Amino acid sequence: MADDGAARQLDKEILSPKPGIQSPAEGGGDFQPRIVGFLCNWCSYAGADLAGVTRLKMPPSMVAIRVMCSSRVDPLFVLKAFLAGADGVLVAGCHPGDCHYQTGNYYTRRRFALTLKVLEELGLEANRVRLSWVSASEGGRFAEVVTEFTETIRKAGPNPAKTEVFL
Amino acid sequence: MAKIGLYLCECGPNIADAIDLDRVAAEIEKDGKVAGIERHKLFCSADGKKFLAESIKKNGFERFVIAACSPKQHEGTFAEVASDVGLNPQMFQLVNIREQCAWTVPDKEQATGKALRFIRAAVTRVQYHQALEQKEIDCNPDVFVIGGGIAGIEVALRTAHKGRKVFLAEKGELGGMLKERGLLFPAMEPAGDFLGPRIDALRNNPQIELFENCKVKEVLGFFGSFVALLETQEGKEIELKAGSVVLATGAQAFNPKELAEYGYGKLDGVYTADEIEKRGVGKLLTESAKPVKSVAVIHCVGRDKLGYCSKMCCVNSMKIARQIREQSAETEVVELYRDLCLPGKGYDRFYKETEAKGVKFARFESVEVTGGDSGLTVKYKQPGGTGAELAVDMVVLSTGLAANPSNPELADMLSISVDESGFFVEEHAVLNPVSTMTEGVFIAGCARGPGDTRDTIVQASATAGKVLSSLVPGKRLQLETRTSEVSEKLCVGCGTCVTVCAYGATTLDESRHIAVVNEVLCRGCGNCASACPSGAAKHRHFTTRQLNQEVTEILK
Ligand SMILES: Cc1cc2nc3c(=O)[nH]c(=O)nc-3n(C[C@H](O)[C@H](O)[C@H](O)COP(=O)(O)OP(=O)(O)OC[C@H]3O[C@@H](n4cnc5c(N)ncnc54)[C@H](O)[C@@H]3O)c2cc1C
Ligand code: SF4
Ligand code: SF4
Ligand code: SF4
Ligand code: FES
Repeated sequence: MADDGAARQLDKEILSPKPGIQSPAEGGGDFQPRIVGFLCNWCSYAGADLAGVTRLKMPPSMVAIRVMCSSRVDPLFVLKAFLAGADGVLVAGCHPGDCHYQTGNYYTRRRFALTLKVLEELGLEANRVRLSWVSASEGGRFAEVVTEFTETIRKAGPNPAKTEVFL
Repeated sequence: MAKIGLYLCECGPNIADAIDLDRVAAEIEKDGKVAGIERHKLFCSADGKKFLAESIKKNGFERFVIAACSPKQHEGTFAEVASDVGLNPQMFQLVNIREQCAWTVPDKEQATGKALRFIRAAVTRVQYHQALEQKEIDCNPDVFVIGGGIAGIEVALRTAHKGRKVFLAEKGELGGMLKERGLLFPAMEPAGDFLGPRIDALRNNPQIELFENCKVKEVLGFFGSFVALLETQEGKEIELKAGSVVLATGAQAFNPKELAEYGYGKLDGVYTADEIEKRGVGKLLTESAKPVKSVAVIHCVGRDKLGYCSKMCCVNSMKIARQIREQSAETEVVELYRDLCLPGKGYDRFYKETEAKGVKFARFESVEVTGGDSGLTVKYKQPGGTGAELAVDMVVLSTGLAANPSNPELADMLSISVDESGFFVEEHAVLNPVSTMTEGVFIAGCARGPGDTRDTIVQASATAGKVLSSLVPGKRLQLETRTSEVSEKLCVGCGTCVTVCAYGATTLDESRHIAVVNEVLCRGCGNCASACPSGAAKHRHFTTRQLNQEVTEILK
């Protein structure tokens, strides 16, 4: 890709978790976050399967929704998930350059940047959403992403949209 | 509401031990959304499939949910059962409670909870599934082979032999790396003995059309219907059509010019193995200005630079060494090797035979060739660090195989990738080593990675088999069913979907000012559906409605 440098910069910005608003009162304890994970069929879903095949342990927080490509994840799905009470939303696809459909994940990346902006506008912490690239052979990475993201959400506490109207 | 059946697979102990299936059944029954729940030890077994089919029929289920393993494993299996009992194959949902639940959540209570969320989401989703029609098109069984080395020749002959029409494009002359070889290890037969007759057979086969000295400019289309554009040396363009493409672009001997330590190109008497074979071993020995009394053959030249072992150069070094010994008994030959790689059948014997011919072997860690008035000096470090020196009249650099430089361009054309060394990447390195990520595009020979002639022929045979079995004349090609469609009513003709589609599957119908999807080209990624601002583009089986229902249920 010609825009590799710029793309990497963008990756850095949107892939690294931002310090979010933490609600210590609600965090920790028995809180078991509910996370929806949109996983692309060819890489991340296969990576999640591999995590299972190699018997890697993960918190039960994340329930996967299989899409053929991460580019199927409309930013509205993410918003919809929050309105339906998700504490966190994970979008995972093939590494840049490896999308089964050639360029799908480049669109995912741009749409994700947009999603972040919208969430900020709505006053929802940006660290409740995450975009990760996980290949079919990265079962270990998948388990790490889920474990780490669950921890982040546990610290952030339950989704305030459940109780506060923010639309 | 449609009558839905739920099937719980125990997968032997895999699921049954990790998830409380009795509780799952009880809770789902309480929800009151399914008309029946049944269990089986192994649904994917012959017995399990039969049980499933009979149960669906007996209960008159119109849709079903099966909680078992990953859809990547058995979606096809259960789609077949659905078809067998007369249901549309989209009318079920396979829930992955094995890989993504039983195997990752150690606590039974938690695993059961997660499985319940998964299953409820599926029970909801399946109600929104829509029947999809399996469309078929005629396919073109012709084969387009790129590269006329032994791999390409072999694929062409084998597929033509079975009656296929074959087009073979070669950028130069036929024969590839073998055309300049003398004897071939391990049998020590002249390469020309089998290459010559094969090239004749190729030229005389009416099924095969050869395009020598031609460049492949473009390949468009898809499995069953590719269109390639070739350009001749004279600049003439040729278009041809085929159902599959075989990449047999081979490799090339690594050029050690850039590695200063060998003095190649600067010192007299330093040759590459490739060069020696092109000139002929005997000729070099007799034509040399002064008698060649001693030769050092250095292995692994370029291995670090290339980043891999080429698997064929150790044996090739021995091939040259023994030829020197056979032609000039008084010439001393020392092989300097790092590791001896003898991967093929009979290669170990070949090594012993070489030793028996008086070839000496010495191991090195690093090496440097310098020149002086009296001849060449090879200084090397032995394992353990002590230095050693050889004064020789000739040095043979045994280089590895480097990837063909035109691979990236071809990979781009065919939407596949090359690895960090420039070889084509297989669909799966172990399970699908001659197919690629693009259906209908295959690889054979050194285009896939370095290897000897036997490896190449084995792969070419496998590739020919794949080509023959994937496109059978007269058999129709099944298209992707989960494609996208555009609602004429909702589309505003903005063209966004046209921009995002990587396959040119969406186009704007200028007269109606709406987008249309070509179902033959659409791969069903769903990108257009996410991009469409008006909700007109719909991704079948992954519709916004189906996904939203799934999400909402998961979060209840
Ligand atoms: C010095 C040396 C000695 C060897 N000795 C032996 C031996 O003794 N025994 C043995 O078993 N093996 C030996 N080998 C290995 C053997 O040569 C290879 O295994 C074999 O030639 C591989 O065949 P191939 O068809 O895959 O590739 P190649 O022989 O490289 O053929 C590829 C062909 O594709 C053409 N091509 C490339 N790009 C394009 C393009 N873009 N469009 C059209 N055409 C293209 C090339 O011009 C070439 O003709 C030796 C190799 C070398 C370098
Ligand atoms: S269908 Fe899947 S879960 Fe059931 S027995 Fe077969 S492999 Fe195991
Ligand atoms: S689903 Fe993908 S391949 Fe099909 S038309 Fe839409 S963008 Fe193109
Ligand atoms: S993006 Fe949607 S509205 Fe725009 S042309 Fe495509 S289908 Fe029509
Ligand atoms: S298929 Fe994995 S991101 Fe597109």
